[in-house]
Amino acid sequence: MIRNVLSDIGGVGLYGVVSICLFFLVFTGALIWTLLQRPSLMRAMGDLPLSDGETHTMNEGESRHE
Amino acid sequence: MKTETFKYDNRIVRAFAIATMIWSVVGMSAGLLAAVQLFWPEANLSLQFVTFGRLRPLHTNAVIFAFVGNGMFMGVYYSLQRLCKARMFSDALSWINFWGWNAIIVAAALTLPLGFTTSKEYAELEWPIDIAITLIWVAFTVNLIGTILKRREKHLYVAIWFYIATAVTVAVLHIVNSLEVPAGMFKSYSIYAGVQDALVQWWYGHNAVAFFLTTPFLGLMYYFLPKAANRPVFSYRLSIIHFWALIFLYIWAGPHHLLYTALPDWAQSLGMVFSVMLVAPSWGGMLNGLLTLRGAWDKVRQDPVLKFMVVAVTAYGMATLEGPMLSIKSVNSLSHYTDWTIAHVHTGALGWNGFIIFSMLYWLFPKMWNTQLYSVKLANWHFWLGLLGIMFYAIPMYWAGVTQGLMWKQFTPDGFLQYPNFLETVLQIVPMYRLRAVGGSLYLIGTIIGIYNLWRTAKSGVFEPETEAQAPARADLAHDAKPEHGHRWIESKPVLFTVFTTVAILIGGAIEIIPMYLIRSNVPTISSVKPYTPLEVLGRDLYIREGCVGCHSQMIRPFRSETERYGDYSKAGEFVFDHPFLWGSKRTGPDLQREGGKYPDAWHYNHMEDPRSTSPGSIMPPYPWLYTQRLDTNSLPARIAALRRVGVPYAPGFENGDAQKDLATQAARIVVSLRVGSITNAPADAEIIGLIAYLQRLGTDIKSAPAAAQSTEGSVPVAALTSNPNP
Repeated sequence: MIRNVLSDIGGVGLYGVVSICLFFLVFTGALIWTLLQRPSLMRAMGDLPLSDGETHTMNEGESRHE
Repeated sequence: MKTETFKYDNRIVRAFAIATMIWSVVGMSAGLLAAVQLFWPEANLSLQFVTFGRLRPLHTNAVIFAFVGNGMFMGVYYSLQRLCKARMFSDALSWINFWGWNAIIVAAALTLPLGFTTSKEYAELEWPIDIAITLIWVAFTVNLIGTILKRREKHLYVAIWFYIATAVTVAVLHIVNSLEVPAGMFKSYSIYAGVQDALVQWWYGHNAVAFFLTTPFLGLMYYFLPKAANRPVFSYRLSIIHFWALIFLYIWAGPHHLLYTALPDWAQSLGMVFSVMLVAPSWGGMLNGLLTLRGAWDKVRQDPVLKFMVVAVTAYGMATLEGPMLSIKSVNSLSHYTDWTIAHVHTGALGWNGFIIFSMLYWLFPKMWNTQLYSVKLANWHFWLGLLGIMFYAIPMYWAGVTQGLMWKQFTPDGFLQYPNFLETVLQIVPMYRLRAVGGSLYLIGTIIGIYNLWRTAKSGVFEPETEAQAPARADLAHDAKPEHGHRWIESKPVLFTVFTTVAILIGGAIEIIPMYLIRSNVPTISSVKPYTPLEVLGRDLYIREGCVGCHSQMIRPFRSETERYGDYSKAGEFVFDHPFLWGSKRTGPDLQREGGKYPDAWHYNHMEDPRSTSPGSIMPPYPWLYTQRLDTNSLPARIAALRRVGVPYAPGFENGDAQKDLATQAARIVVSLRVGSITNAPADAEIIGLIAYLQRLGTDIKSAPAAAQSTEGSVPVAALTSNPNP
C-alpha cells in the first residue's frame, strides 16, 4: 500500500526536503536576527514584565503571605 | 514627555478566575467519575447521560476549554494590559468574550451528555456551537490586537507573541477542522472522509494541544515567572528562538497521532521527524524558565507561587521530551492505543496547565484583593496533594500502558498469540485503574483546598476593580523612535508580526494537507467498498452518539500481532465513505474494524444488553436504553441528503421512499436472525437493531472483493484491490 501511494503521488521526497529546508531557513534566520540584537535592548525587553506602570504596587518588597 | 494616567481592568480577570475555579472542580469531577467507571461500570448509575462514552468528551472539554481556557483568558487579560501599558481595547468585547465563552461551555455540558457529538476528539461540539466558538474567538482576537495597537509600550514582550500565535492559529485550526454539513439542528457530517478526515482532525487535535494548552501558557510563564521571582527572564534571546522554532515546528507534528495507520507513509514520516525536532525548542523554553530562578531557589522553598510554577515548568519539560519519544514509530507501535498516552497527556494537563494556573491564581488573588494569602500552610497542602495526585495518576498509567502493550504483542513459542482474549489484557491492568482514581481524587482534593484558600484570601481583603497606572503617551514614543530594523522592527509592528506568524503556521498545515486534497490516489479506491445502508447510517450515528470511539479503535495496524488478533490490516480505501472517520485513539476494548460477521446478531444483542453475559468480567457498561428507544427514522432524509452533499454517492431521491424501504427490509432481516438466536421480542425499530446492522457491516466490504484480488493479498494488497491500480 505504501509503495502504491508513494508512486501515485509522485515526487513525494520533495515534501520532506522542502519542509526541512523551510525550517532550516526560519531557524537560521531567527538565530541570526537574535544574535544581532544589542545586549542593552535584550535587557530592556526582558525587563518589560517588571515595569507595569502601576502607581502603587501592592505588597511590593514584602511577603505576600502570612 | 507627556505622561498619561489610566486604569487596568481587574474585574474581567476576577470573572475569569472565578470561572476557572468552578470549572476546575466540574472538569476534574467528571474525569474522576469516568475513571471510576473503568473499574466499576455501575458508577454510571444506569444513566445514559453519564456513561463513559458520553462522559469522556465532557471531561476533556471541561478541562481543556472550561478550566484551562478560562485560566488562559484570566492570565492573558491580566498580563496583556500591563505589558501594553493600556486598558483592554474594549470592555464590551472583554465581557462578550467572558459570557460567550462560558455560555459555550454550558452548551457543551448540556449537549455532550445528550449525545450530540461529532466524535472528533476535542472538537466534539456540534455545528451551532462551532459557529458560536468562532464568533467569540473573533471577539477575543479583536480585543487582543486592538489592545496591542493602542499600547503605550513600544515593544511587544515575548509573551504577547505567544498570545498572537495562539489567537490566529486556534482560529485557523477550529474553522478548517469544523467544516461540516448540517443534518438537523444537532447533527452534522464532516466534509472530510476517512484518511483526509483523520489527517485534518489530528492536525487540529495536536495543535489544539500546541496552541491552546501550550503557547498561551508559555506566554504566561514568560510573564508570571519573572514577576513572581522578581527578576527578568534568563535569556531574552533564547525566548525569541524558542518562539519562532516552536510555532514553526508544532504545526507539522500532527501525523504522529496516526503512525502505522492507513495514512500515507510520507505524511507519517514528516510528522515523526518534526515531532522529534520539537524537543529542542521545548527544552530551550523549559530551561529558560528554570534558569530564570538562578540564585532565587531559596524563594522556591517558601513561595507557593514559585513552587507550583517550578513543577509546572518541569512537567512541561517531561511531557515535551516524552512527546517526541512517543512520536518515534517504533516506540509508538508499543504505546499507541494504550494508557501510556493517557499518562502522557495528564502529565501535561495536571502538571503543566493545572499547576501553572494555580500558580497564577495564588499570585493574582493577594494582588487584586490587596491582601495577603490566607494560608501558606493550606497552599502547601494543595501543592503536595496535587503533586502526589500527579504521581499516583501517571505511574499506574505508565505501568498499565506498557503492560497491556506488551501483552498485545506477546506470542507463544509456537507462534500463537499468548493472550488471544483481549479482555485478559484489560483485567490485568484494572488494579492500575483503581490507583489512577486515587491519584485523581488526591488532585481534586488539593484543588478544593486551593479554592477554599483563595476564597478566604478574597474575603480577607478588598477587591480593587481597577488599578491605576501611568505611562508616557504613545505619541511621544513614536516621536522619539529611531528607524528600526531586524526583529526589533517586526515586533514593533504587530499587524505585520501577526501576518508573519500566520504564514509560519500555515506553511506546515498546507504542505501536509493540500496534497491529500488534491491527489485522489492518496486514498486508493477499493471497488467493493460501498456506502452504508440507511439502517447502517443510523446505527453508525448511534455508535457516534454513545462515544464508542472513546474505547474502540477501527484501525488495524500492519503488525502480525494485530492481524492475528483482529484480521486483515486497515486500508486507506476502506474509509472513503466514513464521515467522520472513527479510527479512535485508545483501546480500552478491542479494535472493531473487522467486527462484521465475527459473531451472530444475537451475540451483539446480548452483549450490548449486558456485556458480562458474553464476556465475563468485562468493564464495558450495559446499554439498556438502546432496547427501549426507537430509531430516529424521521431524520433519515436529512441525514442521507447531508451525506450526499459531502460526497457519498446515494442516488438522487433515494431518501424519499427507497431509503425507508431499504431500512425496513434490513431491520426485518435482523429481527429474523435474532429469532434464530432465541431472541423473540426484539422490535424492528429499536435502536439496537441499527447498531447491530452497523457493527455487522464493519470491515466486511473488503471481504467481498473478487477472489482473485483476495488471493494476492499480502504481497501487494492495495494495488490488487484498487479499481485504478498503478500502471
